[in-house]
Amino acid sequence: MTTTMTRAAAAVTLHGVSRVFGRGPAAVRAVDDVTLEFPRGGWTAVMGPSGSGKSTLLHCAAGLERVDTGRVMLGDTDLTGAGDADLTALRRTRIGFVFQSFNLIGALTAEQNVALPLRLAGSRPSRSIVRSTLDAVGLADRARHKPRELSGGQQQRVAIARAMVTRPEVLFADEPTGALDSTAARTVLGLMRAMADAGQSIVMVTHDPGAAAHADAVVFLRDGRVVDRLAGAGAREVADRLAAWER
Amino acid sequence: MLGMSRAGLAERWTLFVGALLSVTLGVALVQSSLLLLITAATLDPPAGLSAAARLQFADGTSAAVAMLGVVLGGAVFLAGFIISSTFAFTVDQRRRDLALLRLVGGSRGQVRRLLLGEALLLGLAGAGLGVPAGLGVMAVQAWLMRRFEFVPEGFAGQWRMWILGVSVGTGVVLAVAGVLVAARRAARVRPLEALRESGPAARVMTAGRWIAGLLFFGGALALVIVAPHGGPAGGQAMAMNVAMPAAVAVVAFAPLLVPLLARLMPFGGGVPSSLARASLRDARRRSASVAAPLIVLVALVVGNTGAGASFTASGIDELARSTHADLVIEATGPVGPAIAKVPGVARASTELSLPAELTTGSGDERETETVTALVIDPTAYAAVHGTAVSLQGRAVAAGPGGEVPKRGEVRVRLPESDLGSLPVVASVPETMTGGASLLLPPGLVPAGQLDDAAARSFVSLAPGADPAAVRDGLSRIGKVSSLDEWLRADAADRSSTNDRIMLIVLGLGGLYALLGVVNAVVIGAATRRREFAEARVTGLTRGQVVRAALLEAYAVTGAALLLGGLAAAAAFIAVLSTTSAVTGAATLDLPWPLIGAVAAVGLTVTGLTSLITSWSATRRPPVTLLAVRE
Ligand SMILES: Nc1ncnc2c1ncn2[C@@H]1O[C@H](COP(=O)(O)OP(=O)(O)OP(=O)(O)O)[C@@H](O)[C@H]1O
Ligand SMILES: [Mg+2]
Repeated sequence: MTTTMTRAAAAVTLHGVSRVFGRGPAAVRAVDDVTLEFPRGGWTAVMGPSGSGKSTLLHCAAGLERVDTGRVMLGDTDLTGAGDADLTALRRTRIGFVFQSFNLIGALTAEQNVALPLRLAGSRPSRSIVRSTLDAVGLADRARHKPRELSGGQQQRVAIARAMVTRPEVLFADEPTGALDSTAARTVLGLMRAMADAGQSIVMVTHDPGAAAHADAVVFLRDGRVVDRLAGAGAREVADRLAAWER
Repeated sequence: MLGMSRAGLAERWTLFVGALLSVTLGVALVQSSLLLLITAATLDPPAGLSAAARLQFADGTSAAVAMLGVVLGGAVFLAGFIISSTFAFTVDQRRRDLALLRLVGGSRGQVRRLLLGEALLLGLAGAGLGVPAGLGVMAVQAWLMRRFEFVPEGFAGQWRMWILGVSVGTGVVLAVAGVLVAARRAARVRPLEALRESGPAARVMTAGRWIAGLLFFGGALALVIVAPHGGPAGGQAMAMNVAMPAAVAVVAFAPLLVPLLARLMPFGGGVPSSLARASLRDARRRSASVAAPLIVLVALVVGNTGAGASFTASGIDELARSTHADLVIEATGPVGPAIAKVPGVARASTELSLPAELTTGSGDERETETVTALVIDPTAYAAVHGTAVSLQGRAVAAGPGGEVPKRGEVRVRLPESDLGSLPVVASVPETMTGGASLLLPPGLVPAGQLDDAAARSFVSLAPGADPAAVRDGLSRIGKVSSLDEWLRADAADRSSTNDRIMLIVLGLGGLYALLGVVNAVVIGAATRRREFAEARVTGLTRGQVVRAALLEAYAVTGAALLLGGLAAAAAFIAVLSTTSAVTGAATLDLPWPLIGAVAAVGLTVTGLTSLITSWSATRRPPVTLLAVRE
C-alpha cells in the first residue's frame, strides 16, 4: 500500500483492471480492461445485463476481489498489492458495504449489528453514535430487535446504518434494493440520496433504472467492459439506454 | 470478543450443545478411568491375608491396572478425537458467519480469537459438567469391574482433589486444541464468501489431512508389519492397537473416500434420491465429518472385538493341538505320586502352581513383578505339552507365559520362602494362551509349601486300561474330566473373560463414540434449514425433503460402515499374521452377531437422528426462513 502526497480527486480509481475466472477455454473475463473514476462526493450507479461483471467490478474496487491486471486506488491508497491486514483495516475505517442479501448477524440485535464494525476496530462504541446512526435510517425504535423480527426494508436499513457508522470514504452497494418492494426501495434510495447530498461517495450496482436515476451518474457495463456513461439522467432515459445496450 | 462469543453461543445452540456434550462426556470418561487406575494401582491387600493370597492379590491388581491403563488410553484417544472433530465441524459449518465478520472489518486474528474464546468457554463449561458426570461414570465402571471380578469386592474409585485440575485441563486443552487447526483455516476465509449462498466449501483435502492421513497410515502399517515378530503378548498388544491409527488415517482421507463410497450405495430413483446424490457431491466435507465418528466407532469395536475373539480362538486351538493326554484332574497339593499309583495310569504330568515374585535385571534395569510359577516333572511335562525341558537342581526354565528371560539369572521369592538367585537354563515356546512364566524342577520348593498349591494333572491311560475305572480311581484325588471336556470348559472360560474385558474396555467408549455420531448428524443438519427451505419453495414437499436427507444419511452411514470395516480389516491382517507366527495356524474368528448389531445400531441411530433433525428443521414454513437474509 503506497500513499502519495497528492490529494486524489476521485474516491476510487480503476486503471486497466481485468479479472478472469477460470482458465483455458472455460475462462470468463468478468472485468475486461476497465479504466474508470468514481468521483469523490458523488453517487455513481453501475448498470448492465446480468453477468456483465457489475458485482465483480464492485468487489475489485472495494478490495474484496484480487485483480489480475491493472491497479485499484482508493483515494490515494493503492489496493492492488495490499495485504490482508491492510485490507481489513480499510474495511473497518474507509469502506462500507451494503449488499442485496442484507448480511446481518442473526444472533445480534440491530443495535449490536450496527456497533459491530466499531467494536471490531477496537473502540468501545458510544451508545449515542449507534443510536443516532440508527435514527438516521429511521429505526431508532427497533434498536433491540433481532434481524428476524424486522422487515426486509428495515433489515436493509440496519445494514446501511452498519456501513455508515464508521463514516467511510466510500459506500459500496450491490443491488441494495434488489430484495425490496418499491416502497421500501424508495425509502432506502431516499436515504442514500441524502447521504450523497451530504458529501458521501457512493458506488452502487443496480438492475433498476428507477434506482439508477437517483444517482448522479450511471456507468453501463457489458461483457466486462464500460460501454457508456450518462450523467444526471432520469429513469426513462436510463431505461432506454439500458435497453439499447441489452439488445 | 467474548461478548460476541456469548451471543454466538446463544444463537447457534444446537451446534454448541453437541460440542458441550462431547466435552462433558469426554472429561467424565477420562476422569473416571484415571481415578480408577490410581485407585487400583495404590490398592493395599486387606489385612490378614496369607503370604500366597497377598501375592495373588498383587497379581490381580496388576492385571486390573493394566486393563485400566488400556481403558484410560482409549478414553483419552476417544475424547481427543470426538471433541476435536466435533469442534472442527462446528467451525466448518459457520464459514459464512465468519466471512461476514471479516466483511465488516474483522481481522484474521479476531476470527481466531473468537473461535478460541468459544472453545475456552465450552471447554470450561464441559469440564464443569464433566466432573460430576465423571463420578457417575466411575460408579458404573467400578461396578462392571467388580461384577466381572477383575477387582475385589468393595472396590470403588477414590476421589482425588488434584483430579479437578486434570479434568478442567483436559476439557480446556482438548477443546482449544481441537479448534486450533479449524480456527486457523477459518481465519483464512475470504470476506466474499459471506455473499455467496453456499460458499465454495473449503478445499476438500488440506495439506494437514494428507500429512495426518499418511502419518497414521504409516503407524498402522508399522504395527501390522511388526506384530507377527512381537511374540504372543507383544503381537496381541500390537494387533489390538492397529484399529486406532488405521481409523484416524481413514478419517483423514474421508473427504475423498466417503462421497466416493456413498455414491455407490443403491439409491433408487425419484427426486429425493437425485437431491441426496447432488448434495453428497456438493458437501464433501460435511459428509466426511458426519461419517468420522462412526468410522472410529466401527473400527474400534469391530477391530478389537474381532482381534480379541480371534486370539482367544487361536489360543484354544493351540492348546487343543499341543496337549496330549486323556484325562485332566484338578486337585490341591502334591498329588503326583497318588495319581501314579492309580491302576491304568501310564503317565501323569502334575503341575503345581504358586504365585511368585520375580526380579529380573539389576541396578536401573531391575524389575519386579508377580508371576505364576509351575512346579513340574520335566519328563512328563515334555510328553504332555510336546516340548522338551530338562531341569534339575536349582535350574529353572522360562515358561509359556513369557516375561522371563530365556537365559540368565532371576531372583524368585515364593510366598513362604526366598529361593534366591536361580539360573534360567531352558525355555519352552511362548503360547497364545500364556500361562506360567516360570517352570521349577521338583525338589526346589520345600515340600511343605506346596500343600495348598493348585495342582493340575494331565493323565495318559495305559493301553487297554478301562477309562471309566481309571476315572473312578482318580476321582478320589480331585475333579476329573476328559481332555475334551476340560478343553471345552477352558475355552468357554477364556471366551467369557475376553468378552468381559472387551465390554469394560469398549463399552462406555463405544457409547461415547455413538454420542459423537449423533452429534455429527445434528451439527450436519443444523445449518441446513435454509437449504431445506429453498428446496421446498422450489416445489418439493416436506416429505420429499426429509426423504432426501434420510437417503443422504443412509448413504453416508453405509460408507462409514465400510470404511470402519476397512480400518478393522487392517487389525485383522495383524491378527492373521500374528496367530500364524505364534501357533502356526492363521486364525480369524469374527463376532458376526456383534458386527451385525453395530451396523444395525449405526444405521438406526443415524437414520433416526436425521429423521428428527430434518423433520424439525422443516417445521417452520419455508418463507419465514427465506425472509431473513443473514
Ligand atoms: N467466483 C467466480 N468464479 C467463476 N466465475 C465467476 C465468479 N464470479 C463471477 N463469475 C463470472 O463472472 C461473470 C460476471 O459475474 P458478476 O457476478 O460480476 O455479474 P453481474 O453483472 O453482477 O451479474 P448479476 O446482475 O446477475 O448479478 C459471470 O459470467 C460469472 O459467471
Ligand atoms: Mg451481481
